[in-house]
Amino acid sequence: MVALSVAAVLAVFLLYTSIAGGGTPTLRPSQLPGHDGRVSLVGMVVGAPRGDAHAGGLHFRLRDREGTATVPVVYTGSVPDLFRQDREVVVDGKLRNGVFVAVPNTLVTKCPSKYTPKKSA
Amino acid sequence: MTVALVVGALLAVACVVLVALPFIREPSVRDDRLARPDELEQRRLALAEERDRALAALKELEFDHRTGKVSDDDYRELVGPLRAQAAEALRALDLRAEHTADVRVPTRG
Amino acid sequence: MPDLGRAALVTSFLLLVYALVAGSFAAWRGRRRLAESAQNALIGAFGATVVAAAVLLAALARHDFSFQYVAEHTSRELSLGYSLTAFWGGQEGSLLLWLLVLGGYSVAAVLTGRRVGRDVLAWVVPVLGLVGTFFAFMLVFVSSPFATQHAPADGAGLTPSLQNPYMAIHPPMLYLGYVGLTIPFAFAMGALLSRRTDERWIVVTRRWTLAAWAFLGIGQLLGAHWAYVEIGWGGYYAWDPVENAALMPWVAATAFLHSVMIQEKRGMLRVWNMVLVVLAFCLSIFGTFLTRSGVIQSIHSFSQSPLGGWFLGFICLITAGSLGLVLLRLPLLRTKTRLESLVSREATFLYNNLLLVALALTILWGVVYPILSEAVTGEAASVSKPYYNFFLHSFGLPLLLLMGIGPLVAWRRASLRALGRTFLWPLGAALAAGIVLLALGAGSSRVGVIAYTFSVFVLASIVLEFARGTSARKALGGIGWLAAFSSLVARNRRRYGGYVVHASIVLLAIGVAGSSAYQTEREARLKPGESMTVAGNRLVFRGFETRMESNHRAIRGQVDVYRGDKYLGRYRPGKNEYFAEDQISNEVSIRHDPLTGGDLFLIADQVNTDGSIDLKALQKPLVNLIWLAGLVFVGGALIALWPDAREERRLAERYAGAPVRI
Repeated sequence: MVALSVAAVLAVFLLYTSIAGGGTPTLRPSQLPGHDGRVSLVGMVVGAPRGDAHAGGLHFRLRDREGTATVPVVYTGSVPDLFRQDREVVVDGKLRNGVFVAVPNTLVTKCPSKYTPKKSA
Repeated sequence: MTVALVVGALLAVACVVLVALPFIREPSVRDDRLARPDELEQRRLALAEERDRALAALKELEFDHRTGKVSDDDYRELVGPLRAQAAEALRALDLRAEHTADVRVPTRG
Repeated sequence: MPDLGRAALVTSFLLLVYALVAGSFAAWRGRRRLAESAQNALIGAFGATVVAAAVLLAALARHDFSFQYVAEHTSRELSLGYSLTAFWGGQEGSLLLWLLVLGGYSVAAVLTGRRVGRDVLAWVVPVLGLVGTFFAFMLVFVSSPFATQHAPADGAGLTPSLQNPYMAIHPPMLYLGYVGLTIPFAFAMGALLSRRTDERWIVVTRRWTLAAWAFLGIGQLLGAHWAYVEIGWGGYYAWDPVENAALMPWVAATAFLHSVMIQEKRGMLRVWNMVLVVLAFCLSIFGTFLTRSGVIQSIHSFSQSPLGGWFLGFICLITAGSLGLVLLRLPLLRTKTRLESLVSREATFLYNNLLLVALALTILWGVVYPILSEAVTGEAASVSKPYYNFFLHSFGLPLLLLMGIGPLVAWRRASLRALGRTFLWPLGAALAAGIVLLALGAGSSRVGVIAYTFSVFVLASIVLEFARGTSARKALGGIGWLAAFSSLVARNRRRYGGYVVHASIVLLAIGVAGSSAYQTEREARLKPGESMTVAGNRLVFRGFETRMESNHRAIRGQVDVYRGDKYLGRYRPGKNEYFAEDQISNEVSIRHDPLTGGDLFLIADQVNTDGSIDLKALQKPLVNLIWLAGLVFVGGALIALWPDAREERRLAERYAGAPVRI
């Protein structure tokens, strides 16, 4: 009887993952070319962000944490307070014509870790 | 700095004493055996638990019946076997108690 | 001073190793004095850990920046309170807290748990020693809080958003939970190692498990509340790996709490319980590992640390060792008792367990999937809300329903007729509620309606339980209602405390359903004088006000809230700009509606140079029920935990005949 229930649970699980797909890929800018669907892009903000996320879009560039590949991003929606140049962020969206067009309100910054030595300002 | 040294020294001494305490208290002892419940005792414990379980189940059945969770028919069906179970467990324990009273060797805990 | 700290940790480590090694030998060979000595070593280790903790606390209190840890997590201007709570602000301090709590629990459990039998206790000690040794090892050799440096002029300080009372108390609460799960684990292993087949270990650890589970739950609620008011994105749980790290062991422990009741009452599920306690404990260590090692990318990404490898190794060792032990002792654990009917209270407990374990495992899968997919395909895949929500609904809603069904079903076997009668009122109430809700327009969220109707069902069944029980007791004793009620609860604290806890979970479910399924959200850019409407509330922006504080600049948007013609007040969402840390923090403004229990949540998304505001407003119905649920939860847990003299006597008598005396 236990085995039956376990099987049922597994069935529900497999059903879901097969329908929904196995999660969105999380990619660095260097891995982006070739992916057409929705992805999560993770990278470091390089250069000063321009524009307004609530009017016309916020424009910035993301770079691999270790590397040189960059990609321009245009984002609308809420911008986390910790967002700034040289911060690592994650944002969902699609690459279109060389520009990463973000899904609104998916921008997330990584908390500057309180567990590592703070770089003296 | 000296406070640290004193505290440290005290700590060290205290710990050593703590660990050695059982040996200091009884430097030589006849019986250093860790009391382990033997076959008999394990059986008695199991029976005691069974008895308690049967008694508790009876009590719950009564209560469930009174609060209407168990219908009269179900109650009649279940109460018999449960009572028998409880009686059986009680009897087995009494027998065990009689039996072991003669047999048990007093072991220092 | 740091030398004292280091020395104390080394002492603790050595004593724990002794407890492990000597304790194992003593238990194996049956040497009484050595076993006592190992037990004392545990006590000594705790004492040494206290000394180490005191050293760190003292250094934090006087801002001794020659301690690297103190410099990293405090600054001169930080208040005493937050300087002290910075103890657990970092990795090294957290590990020390873990060891400290473990030591405290170990000593208390071992000293009060003698009833479990000397032979079992003799094995419990080395198991506790093993866990303690690991953490002490990490503290001495890998991640020491007593690293020193040339003292800088000032420390780095604490991130402003963490300077909040909820965040201050959240880690110790969680740890009292996480670490507490070690106790039932140790006693379970002790029982297996000493080849015991009785249920003593369950009886002895019952309260410890309940307390740990309660602390873990409260800790998570505190964290959620902090996220709600401080981070202020409008939510309270983001399915972040670090959040899940605490949820998983809690869910597993919930399953364990229920299934041990079956073992006590019917002697069934013994193997299952062993596996569950191992699962709960391993998940709690895994949770600590997740939060500290940076192995999983989360928005709380702590940098990669050497801790990761060690933790993983320890988890593997524990899992393999304990499951191996269970397999070895399988013959001892088997029982003859079988499930008599699929419609019985035992069966509902079993369904509850299956659902809970399934939930815990799906969360676990969601947490490790990104790492696994990266290892296999080279690309990390992220798992997000839809995944978790799907399973939360699939498993959580039936669980909710079961909370109402379980108490109404009899043990062993329940006839459908009896069921029909007992179910009548709750079912009727639920149906009525459902109709009313649909009429009110709640049909916009299918999940929401289901959650609400199930909740009504459960609440009705709980009320009914109390009512029927009280009237039965009254009829028995011929006493008044109040006396009957208190006697009912007093005589069966675990059951009725449990019902109160169930009620709190229902409140939580209603709060969560209301604030997520029926939330309204609006965003607009407003110039002074402009307004926007959300859920019948008109928000008029009046402009910004700036205030200078000692360490930050506070910018607040002035928003007047109206409902129709009625003025409800002025609310001030905004931002704080901190000079020293060069950071901005979000300061939300929340209006609690006392009548409906909902919140109007105002976020100043963006402060614009032209004096306009990008305002985001959320109307979250019933969200305050979540926090109320926390209070009810504590109450219920206290009732269930309350010592029962009558029960103590009964248990003492049961175990009295044993020659194992203290």
